[in-house]
Amino acid sequence: MFGLTKSTVEKVLLYIICTIIIIVVVFPLYWLIITSLKYDIDSYIYPPQFFPVNITFKNYIDILFLAQEGNLVKYFLNSLIITISTIFLSLLFGSMAAYSLSKNYLSIMFRRMMLAFVLVIRIFPPITTAIPYYIILSKFGLIDTHIGLIISYVAFSLPFTIWLMIGFFQSLPAEIEKAATIDGCNFWQRFIKITIPLSLPGLAVTAIFGFLYSWNEFMLASILTSENAKTLPVVIAGFISDKYLFWGKMTALGVLMTIPVIIFSSFAQRNIVRGLTFGAVKE
Amino acid sequence: MLTGYRKWSIIFLLPSGLFLIFAYVYPMVYSFIMSFFSYSMLIPGAKPVFIGIDNYLKIFSNPSFLNSLRITFIFSIVAIFFEFIIGLFLALAMSANLRITGVFRVFMFIPLMIAPVVAGVLWRNLFHSSYGVINFFISFLDIPPQIWLGSAQQALPAVIVVEIWQQLPVFTFILAAGIASIPTELNKAALVDGCGRMRIFWNITLPLLKPAVIVAFLLRIIDTLRMFDIVYTMTQGGPGTSTKFLSLHIYEKGLKFFDIGTAAAQSWFFLIIVLLIEIYFIRLVLRRGTAR
Repeated sequence: MFGLTKSTVEKVLLYIICTIIIIVVVFPLYWLIITSLKYDIDSYIYPPQFFPVNITFKNYIDILFLAQEGNLVKYFLNSLIITISTIFLSLLFGSMAAYSLSKNYLSIMFRRMMLAFVLVIRIFPPITTAIPYYIILSKFGLIDTHIGLIISYVAFSLPFTIWLMIGFFQSLPAEIEKAATIDGCNFWQRFIKITIPLSLPGLAVTAIFGFLYSWNEFMLASILTSENAKTLPVVIAGFISDKYLFWGKMTALGVLMTIPVIIFSSFAQRNIVRGLTFGAVKE
Repeated sequence: MLTGYRKWSIIFLLPSGLFLIFAYVYPMVYSFIMSFFSYSMLIPGAKPVFIGIDNYLKIFSNPSFLNSLRITFIFSIVAIFFEFIIGLFLALAMSANLRITGVFRVFMFIPLMIAPVVAGVLWRNLFHSSYGVINFFISFLDIPPQIWLGSAQQALPAVIVVEIWQQLPVFTFILAAGIASIPTELNKAALVDGCGRMRIFWNITLPLLKPAVIVAFLLRIIDTLRMFDIVYTMTQGGPGTSTKFLSLHIYEKGLKFFDIGTAAAQSWFFLIIVLLIEIYFIRLVLRRGTAR
């Protein structure tokens, strides 16, 4: 440890512990996948079946095509539309605000105040704004619409977008922008032609965190939608009833929901810690 | 020229600024005003009635709210404690740079990718009292099957386990990044000076990790206190009120019983507690100069 040489015994011990932890972390995922491939009846037996005897895609076919629970494709599209709009809007507005706050054209006091405001709203427990949102959005007739949910998601993802992007903008070398200014670029051109292209990795990480958030978010979605704009997490929660638990369908939908997240986030393994920490810890 | 830049800077700030004011200040002012009214949306045509600070006073004599407050804090403290200990251990193991740590990095992230509602459903299955995998595993240790989510004593620990499983990467990777940023020369110098591993850990690694630890604590407190999704699909607050976290309690008050005044007062109370804790931690971070 601590980057110092170690004995073989210690290495073996570390290998064993790491393997155990990996198994503990990954086993539930394995269980999610095999439960989705079992008939429900096989999920109810004890001892549990660790290797499914009768493998079936019935659960997937059920939720995708048989439409007992309503049109799943529609909910999938809802999730996709809301997630993409949220990411687009918060990246656009957020990176503009971050650019302005990362330069020193405005007074330091003002910029500090704005940063403190952004930090404080990041801390708000979502339930505290969720109930007012419900009342306000129903006054505007925006309950159960895509726009209503997008507004509340952007409100949530803007603070972390701004904080992350300030960090990425500040880490760019100032000389490039100076050169662009001398060449006659104005503020807007510098932002669009120089800073944004150079910050693409940062934008990608921020987008992935926006994706993780709005794709998986449940509380606001369950409060602010009922049918038209319902998203996938709400559908999963809807499978839970008092009498019967549809393990197969719930886990199949869980697998379908997780695949896009894993694909997208595999692009950003490197910068993920920075995203996790709201920009405070750099790798 | 400077005025032109200032003008553009303001224009760039405007969309976010206006939006955030609309999205936070307006609802919170609305909720602040409502917290002084008695208003039930369940009664058609009911008008809000001004009752002063009664809603706030009721908080302290409301056993179910106080119970939720207690559960939320127990959850937060216990989960963060274990995440910190296990995360620190894993971060140290990762710093050993064995071949397995590459695999480790990839797999550790997976729980974080899974939607909390899905995690709740999945672990509800694993914890099932009659056919759950966990009861199967503990039977090898001669422990009789437990009721887990059906028991008022065991439901909260079960939810804590899921939270730790899902959020462990946060501590692990923040601490690993912190350890990686400690210059190895320091450790080598200490070794030359005759320090043992334990002394290096206590006197070099831990003190230098402090900023990373504080950041991780800050983030995890924000997230654990708002706990909602996992518990919604795993226990729905039950059995009884044994896993009714604050968010769930306020949610039911406001959107199941539509007692808007009480829910608003409870929201504000909750918010102020969270803010006070966070301000304390943010000041720690700023004093150490890790944040911008």
